[in-house]
Amino acid sequence: MDLIWWILIIIALVFVGILLWFFSFYNRIVRSENRIDNAWGQIDVQLKRRADLIPNLMETVKGYMNHERGTLEAVTKARASIMSAKTPQESMDANNMLTGALKTLFAVAESYPDLKASQNFLSLQDELTHTEEKIAYSRQHFNDSVLVFNNTIETFPGVVFAKRMGKKERQMLQIPEASREVPKVAF
Amino acid sequence: MLLEDHIRKNKIDTVLICMFMVALLFSVIFAIGFAFGLPPIFAMAIGLPIALAYIAITYSFSVSSVIAAAGARPANPQNREEKLLIYKVEEMSLAAGLPAPKVYVQDSRDINAFATGRKPDEAIICATTGAIQQLNNEELEGVIGHEMSHIKNRDILVATVTVAVVGTIALLAEIALRSLFWSGGSRGDKKGGGGIIIIVAIIFIVLAPIFSRLTYLAISRRREYLADADGAYLTRNPEGLASALEKIKNDLPDDPKGSKTVAPLYIANPYKRALRNSIWSTHPPLDERIRRLRSM
Repeated sequence: MDLIWWILIIIALVFVGILLWFFSFYNRIVRSENRIDNAWGQIDVQLKRRADLIPNLMETVKGYMNHERGTLEAVTKARASIMSAKTPQESMDANNMLTGALKTLFAVAESYPDLKASQNFLSLQDELTHTEEKIAYSRQHFNDSVLVFNNTIETFPGVVFAKRMGKKERQMLQIPEASREVPKVAF
Repeated sequence: MLLEDHIRKNKIDTVLICMFMVALLFSVIFAIGFAFGLPPIFAMAIGLPIALAYIAITYSFSVSSVIAAAGARPANPQNREEKLLIYKVEEMSLAAGLPAPKVYVQDSRDINAFATGRKPDEAIICATTGAIQQLNNEELEGVIGHEMSHIKNRDILVATVTVAVVGTIALLAEIALRSLFWSGGSRGDKKGGGGIIIIVAIIFIVLAPIFSRLTYLAISRRREYLADADGAYLTRNPEGLASALEKIKNDLPDDPKGSKTVAPLYIANPYKRALRNSIWSTHPPLDERIRRLRSM
């Protein structure tokens, strides 16, 4: 009689253990997917902030760089394509375009000593570099999060449950190698 | 070794050493119980509450006491150098996926930095003015990445708790030895055969504080390697931190500022012994850290 009770208790404990493990695994999948969306939210905030800084920059350089119409237009155009981007990858591509255009603008600014001495220009340059870095690091965190999520749902035991939970592999944000080096130009 | 392997190995090591630490605490409580002829459960009922209370008190005062000891002040965004430091901290917090910590500055020409705070959302990163002025962009990024990893890995929590456990073991051993000394003469005769075991227990109680201190230091060194590897993973650039550590090595002050309480928290121990490899060091030797970073 005693023995049967012990066996029943052990079976119940094992069952509760399996159930708890399943709950925590389910939560882990949901949490790691939410982290990806949250990481994208961070990138989006930085992209908007960067786009918002551009009109200020244009206002500041306008007086000095009237002859550099092409450079200024490239920046404005890149900003417009950030605003109109629909998918994450489109946003990142537009962001790269803006990075390239700004790189040219800051390089050209080197030959305008008055502009370079302007406190306003200097702090805008710092802040644009800063948002640039923030976007790069948010993207890195996004990709790290995607990697963790994909690993979870593609390895055992995730591979068993993920399909039933309707979870699919997520895409990383692609970016050309060169853009990672851009921030150094500003210094 | 891959960066991920470094990180995993360091984590496993820390868990093992922490388990050893807890085992040590329990053995001390049992040994004391034994030396006094108390049953183990009774010894636990007295010993554990003392240990937990001590840990809780140290824990709740940890942040404010560190900031005060370092004489740090909040960074001033009006100053360009300090603004760029705030920017760097924000960037690294995004890379780690953590809320941005508060940024503090310590006025000192030494190159150093530390992180404190029990939870990521109340964390603080502090850099010296020397670090802001003498490190270049990549080096500063490496240093901030290292500190951000301490926050992410909850090293401040690990450090606070282990320091508290070391303190508890020392406290219990002290109380036990003093009371044994005062009541010692009368006890021996009653027990008779247990004499040798009691002597072993007493020797253990004498040595336990030293063991626990060494264990704490081993944990601290592990966490430094882990933060170096994790920091390099955040910046994707081990060379930045390696080069910063090299600058620190060549610039070790003769007369370091700040109190010794903050020393274990800094990115590199500001006292000259940072160069030596010893079981009494809070940090691994700088040369070995640089070598490991460069081999990543």
